[in-house]
Amino acid sequence: MTYFSFTKGELLTLLRRKQDTMNALIFFLMVVILFPLGVSPSPEFLSVAAGGIIWCAASLAILMSVEGMFKEDFNDGCLEQWLVSGLSLPVLILLKVSIHWLIVIVPLLIMAPILAQMLFLPMDIFYVLLQTLILGTPALFLIGTIGSALTVSLRHGAVLMLLIIIPFYLPVIIFSTGAIRAAQSGMLYDGQIAILAAISLASLVVSPIMSAISIKASVS
Amino acid sequence: MSWTWFHKLGSPKWFFQFASRWSLGVFLSGVVLLLIGLVWGLAFAPEDYQQGNSFRIIYIHVPAAILAQSCYLGLGVAGFVFLVWQMKMAPIFIKSVAPLGALVALIALVSGAIWGKPTWGTWWVWDARLTSVLVLFLLYMGVIAIQNSLEDKILADKAVAVIGVVGLINLPIIKYSVEWWNTLHQPATFKLTEKPAMPMEMWLPLLISSLGLYLFIAGLAMLRMQTEVLNRERRSSWVKEEVLKNGI
Amino acid sequence: MHSSISLNISNLWIERGERYLCKDMSFSLSGGDICKINGENGAGKSTLLKIIVGILSPLEGTVYYNGEDVSIHRDLLHQDVLYLGHNSAIKSVFSVAENLRWYFPNASDEAIAYALSVVSLSGYEETPSSQLSAGQKRRITLARLWLTDKPLWLLDEPFTALDVQGVSSLEKRMRDHISNGGLIILTTHQDIDASLNVKEINLTL
Repeated sequence: MTYFSFTKGELLTLLRRKQDTMNALIFFLMVVILFPLGVSPSPEFLSVAAGGIIWCAASLAILMSVEGMFKEDFNDGCLEQWLVSGLSLPVLILLKVSIHWLIVIVPLLIMAPILAQMLFLPMDIFYVLLQTLILGTPALFLIGTIGSALTVSLRHGAVLMLLIIIPFYLPVIIFSTGAIRAAQSGMLYDGQIAILAAISLASLVVSPIMSAISIKASVS
Repeated sequence: MSWTWFHKLGSPKWFFQFASRWSLGVFLSGVVLLLIGLVWGLAFAPEDYQQGNSFRIIYIHVPAAILAQSCYLGLGVAGFVFLVWQMKMAPIFIKSVAPLGALVALIALVSGAIWGKPTWGTWWVWDARLTSVLVLFLLYMGVIAIQNSLEDKILADKAVAVIGVVGLINLPIIKYSVEWWNTLHQPATFKLTEKPAMPMEMWLPLLISSLGLYLFIAGLAMLRMQTEVLNRERRSSWVKEEVLKNGI
Repeated sequence: MHSSISLNISNLWIERGERYLCKDMSFSLSGGDICKINGENGAGKSTLLKIIVGILSPLEGTVYYNGEDVSIHRDLLHQDVLYLGHNSAIKSVFSVAENLRWYFPNASDEAIAYALSVVSLSGYEETPSSQLSAGQKRRITLARLWLTDKPLWLLDEPFTALDVQGVSSLEKRMRDHISNGGLIILTTHQDIDASLNVKEINLTL
């Protein structure tokens, strides 16, 4: 196994398992739709709440798509092969998360303008939303990976993983929606964007190492 | 400085013997201090000029809130120690302290709500500190949940250590973000801290009850850890001797 | 020809649940050896293999590969090892050939076709692995033995899923491997060809 063949394999797996990614995206769409139906369809409410709605829905969808990330590798014995491959486990994990991120975030970004229209989000605010999504979602994926690695050996680990991971998502959600709200009231939002980038970078350092520890412990 | 104490602390046998000498004393002195602090605070400390008698819940709320944070700090440090040095006592510490931490966090939440009713007029406000205690409570629940869900004990130990460390890194970020979020939401509603510095008669019982709760929790944690040590080391010869000699 | 390799197990204690699988076990192996781990079901044969390869940690004791402690220099071992565990480690979304390419990206088409023919999977190259039986998946895993150039093989029950002809070609492959200076450790219930000069390790319950 090489890093390249590993990456290629992961990409191939995700492309052949399109339905898994699709499910996460449809779930995202459904959560977004719940808000106008459940709270209020008035443009005044929605245009203010749109950023928060999209972010909450995206967080849940990402948790869903990350949750089963290592499950199949664990069940078919491939995780053992990663461990003895002579390749660095944190790097393998990082490659895997990056591919997952790419595969989910691209369609999400394509869906975003449509949803923004449906939620009456003004165009200039929409660009801020895009920035927060691009800079904030890596942190969500990376943090979620730790939870996924910890619960990989459990048959019904999904709820447990949500329980562990959601508190760690709060800062990302707070700063993303904060940036959007700041932009809406005409204030500068560079600070929040910078903090989001910082959280993502910090996760980039911590997550692969912690996930590797968790996977090693889960396999044994 | 000699590091022998550090290595000794890692040995369950040494800890057990240390704890069996100290745990009860620490626990009882905690109870006594807590009682002194509470009675003094609840009955004898002067009334607050703004809030009247309702402020007295501070003698429960503040120590509990401090303890909730300290316990998580300890948990995170223990997790780090376990991941780096594989010290056997660290997961025992985490397992014993997490439920206590959850309990004090819950006490802080409930007392905060009770305090909120007369002061703010509602049981709950999305106050930065209340919210971060709520998140803290959720973090504890996560640690407890994963500890109980994983059948493989070695994996469970690793898992709580990982969560502890990630939480330790995250806790300042969460706290900061919640505070920042709150100031954005509702700038300076009613700041309890902006009174003139507390008079001595009010402040001293608070200190005593905080210290008391520290010792109380430390004593409880030591007792819980002793049980856990006995359970984990039940096959070793020193535990057999211990049980035969002193009973359970 | 592999450069000479050695594997030393010293004072190994293995624990599972409440009981010791082995106490203070030591043995040495070097290139050219085949070592068979004997023991009943549940005696810990697979566990011992996993400890040697570094997936599990022993309670006490050390595994040395070429004189280096494996728990510290894990990479040195992992560069040289081919480990076939209890699970097939076959991705069901890949075709048979893609699975082998995942492990050996530089293997030629001929090499892969040959490896598959040995385990009687000729013509299955493009078949999705999800359509194969457990035994066939197992044989894809075994095909890796004909593609690898790693000197140290750790094989967990390699003979299951093979027919008589398959067994004899695997034995031939193992004979070639050790005559090139390779080292094989395996668990099996089957008797191995006596001419292979097998060393045996016994695990008792």
